[in-house]
Amino acid sequence: MPVKHGQSSYRDRTDEFFAIVESLRRSMAPAANNAPYVSGRSDVGRREDPRSAASLQSEFRKRAGKIGLAISQTSQKLTKLAKLAKRTSVFDDPTQEIQELTVVIKQEISALNTALLDLQAIRNAQNDEGNNSRDTTTHSATVVDDLKNRLMDTTKEFKDVLTMRTENMKIHENRRQLFSSNASKESTNPFVRQRPLASRPAASQLAPLPWANGSSSSSSQLVPRNQGEAESSPLLQQSQQQQQQQQQQQMVPLQDTYMQSRAEALHNVESTIHELSNIFTQLATMVSQQGEIAIRIDQNMEDTLANVEGAQSQLARYLNSISSNRWLMIKIFFVLIAFLMVFLFFVA
Amino acid sequence: MALNLRQKQTECIIRMLNLNQPLNQSGTANEDVYKILIYDKFCQNILSPLIHVKDLRKHGVTLYFLLDKDRKPVQDVPAVYFVQPTQSNIQRIIADASNFLYDTFHLNFSSSIPRKLLEDLASETLKRSSVEKVSKVHDQYLEFVTLEDNLFSLAQQSTYVQLNDPSAGDKEIEEIIEKVASGLFCVLATLGVVPVIRCPRGGPAEMVASLLDQKLRDHLLSKNNLFTEGGGFMSSFQRPLLCIFDRNFELSVGIQHDFRYRPLVHDVLGLKLNRLNVQGEKGGMNLFELDSFDPFWSANSSLEFPEVAVEIETQLNKYKRDVEEVNKRTGGGNGGAEFDGTDLIGNTKHLMNAVNSLPELTERKKVIDKHTNIATALLGQIKERSIDAYTKKESDMMMRGGIDRAELMAALKGKGTKMDKLRFAIMYLISTETINQSEVESVEAALNEAEADTSAFQYVKKIKSLNVSLAASANSASRSNIVDWAEKLYGQSISAVTAGVKNLLSSDQQLAVTRTVEALTEGKPNPEFDSYLLLDPRAPKSSSGGGGGSHVKGPFREAMVFMIGGGNYVEYGSLQELTQRQLTVKNVIYGATEILTGSELVEQLGVLGKKMGLGGPVASSSSSDH
Repeated sequence: MPVKHGQSSYRDRTDEFFAIVESLRRSMAPAANNAPYVSGRSDVGRREDPRSAASLQSEFRKRAGKIGLAISQTSQKLTKLAKLAKRTSVFDDPTQEIQELTVVIKQEISALNTALLDLQAIRNAQNDEGNNSRDTTTHSATVVDDLKNRLMDTTKEFKDVLTMRTENMKIHENRRQLFSSNASKESTNPFVRQRPLASRPAASQLAPLPWANGSSSSSSQLVPRNQGEAESSPLLQQSQQQQQQQQQQQMVPLQDTYMQSRAEALHNVESTIHELSNIFTQLATMVSQQGEIAIRIDQNMEDTLANVEGAQSQLARYLNSISSNRWLMIKIFFVLIAFLMVFLFFVA
Repeated sequence: MALNLRQKQTECIIRMLNLNQPLNQSGTANEDVYKILIYDKFCQNILSPLIHVKDLRKHGVTLYFLLDKDRKPVQDVPAVYFVQPTQSNIQRIIADASNFLYDTFHLNFSSSIPRKLLEDLASETLKRSSVEKVSKVHDQYLEFVTLEDNLFSLAQQSTYVQLNDPSAGDKEIEEIIEKVASGLFCVLATLGVVPVIRCPRGGPAEMVASLLDQKLRDHLLSKNNLFTEGGGFMSSFQRPLLCIFDRNFELSVGIQHDFRYRPLVHDVLGLKLNRLNVQGEKGGMNLFELDSFDPFWSANSSLEFPEVAVEIETQLNKYKRDVEEVNKRTGGGNGGAEFDGTDLIGNTKHLMNAVNSLPELTERKKVIDKHTNIATALLGQIKERSIDAYTKKESDMMMRGGIDRAELMAALKGKGTKMDKLRFAIMYLISTETINQSEVESVEAALNEAEADTSAFQYVKKIKSLNVSLAASANSASRSNIVDWAEKLYGQSISAVTAGVKNLLSSDQQLAVTRTVEALTEGKPNPEFDSYLLLDPRAPKSSSGGGGGSHVKGPFREAMVFMIGGGNYVEYGSLQELTQRQLTVKNVIYGATEILTGSELVEQLGVLGKKMGLGGPVASSSSSDH
């Protein structure tokens, strides 16, 4: 509705304008056939000059447009990824898709980064040629800055999505542990297939697993007792064999849980470092973002400019006076040396 | 769906910045085009309260310039022009185009460009063979300044003087009326609604109303008009009511002192285009912006000043508490002893949260600082001029219709600037039913003693005395059938002053405008307001005089109030209160030809007084310097 309102409240008078132009042209054509032609020629001559600059400029513009488009495409992909990552359901975890998208986005962002650097190089080359007006320079600088900001925003968003994803994964992990600690539910738990391969045959052999608690304390209690049993009944080879097998089976999960806990700890440290780096980047952007937020167009920029220029000229004058002083000092020094020479040669 | 003028106008501007291309969902144009924005002084005023540099950047504007600045060519970049359709602006555009400053020119005019100017533009650009440069020409119908969601100003200066000028001829008056009506037309076009118009009979209000009615009718005749799409389903049932008043309807509101935050900031510190310059403690000027993005301002601007001070205090305390909370969570908690893994993780989490909450906290701090500064500056002025005393005495005067002589003289001899005294004296004149000659003379003497410019006082006195003599001879019946507009204007302006007095006397604290709007929106028969003119641009011509169908009288949910000759924040605040207090009216948009402080209005009165040849020698000396 509001968009509709917006659309209705203006009038396109372009057609009217060009109709007038057409009728004027027709009325003017027989009367003054030469005049517009000549002026057109002179314009061509005038425009010949900045042509190279213009071509460079259009190259710049083309590239800027491309980068802008790519950024918006990337951010679209990013929203898709965010949607995927937001899914908290344990049962359909679109890990595959997320991985693929993440890789794609990562590549795109780095490609965009290099493209931006290229763009900046073009701009610098243009500026070095020096035949651009001041406004053109400002314009292209703003374009580059704008693109940079947008890319930065996209990257930040990307990071946020990834952080959220890790968060979700952690939650999943916790939930998984919660479920797997409950032995009776083990057989129905869909995460059995995600356990390490080694434990799978054991799971199929013994329905109520004593070590499935996952708590290392209970299994470590179990191990010596089993060993004791093995020693106390060496008579039956078969049983011993069985026991050994059992022991092995129990050792595997023991190691497994240990590794898991290690991995988790590593994970935590990693995420901590990640968070820290996040903080630093945020701080950096916070500092840099203070600039343009609250400026209104009518704020008197000219004054500031004048002030800056005044300050600059003052500095230049100061530099001048300092350098003239330096010259004076050198002169005095030379005079002193000369006197010293005279003193050394003639007196001593 | 309430009408939100600010949002609508911002949408229009954003659409214009995107070269009038349709927008996609995220609010930006589909393809990225970097462009340059060129505007003139008037359009800068339109843009600056609505859109910040950050938003301009978001919509691909890299550079923004005033039209008459010396600009350098930028190749291969389109330029968006947003200017008033005036001769000089057109000339400037032609010069730009023929110098090939930019790649293409997208011309947007703040109101409809006359055919003649369009022809000028066409012929000149054709002559200089730069006509291909002009790619689009648009009429934007945006010739008004929106200050808040429901407040706009046409930014037409000293309309009051021009309308009440005794020496003004038919032509000048008609020009002003035309200007005001076209400004209002722009507002309506932006909102996309055709309202039902009510106004008091006689005077500029009726002239503007009938001209606007005419304009709307003419426009609605054409098939493809500005209101077909926008109006749609909603408008047939929920049309807003547009009430047009003249400043003379209630002159006193424009002059009196007020003690609420927003009017006080406007009156004392000179709020302009939502911006405020306050003298800092160290002599530098502090620039503040007060608009709907400032939560404190939008929440508390209608409170009385002492309450605002209390509110600032509580906000500050809350802020301090929050900062302490953050500090405790991040810094003070662990003494290094329990530095194990889990705590580390928790700690960084806290740190993250703290960092995330920091921007919000600094934002709040900034707001609090801003309002503390403003309040300090206000308090200084209030103490120096004892504005509280003026406010109290003026409202007393209005309630009782008079004041003790001793109190009157005490106020005039007490603290306060010349202007405060003058305003007080004029309020005294307006409030009293009959003029006590000796008292008035002593007031005048006191004003002269204070070296105040008395021409405004003289003007009001003259009008008042004329009014008294007129009221004796002519009764109210003669008011309604004066055909000659000049006589009507004159008579209206006089009788309106007394009407304003009566309005004030009968109501306690509530303004006449608010009361009238309330009665009109309710749509119940009310003898006091039945004589008001009713115009319905959608209705067929024949029935418009008779009062139309019942649907145009029924209760209105949306109302617009327009004040010809200068509005103020007191009325705005009062009308916004109406929407909260009353059930039928959901939303009131308030507009005026310009937003005036009390002293600005008194100055205009003074100018009028001088034009009538009134005022003392002091008056002439002070008039020379402005």
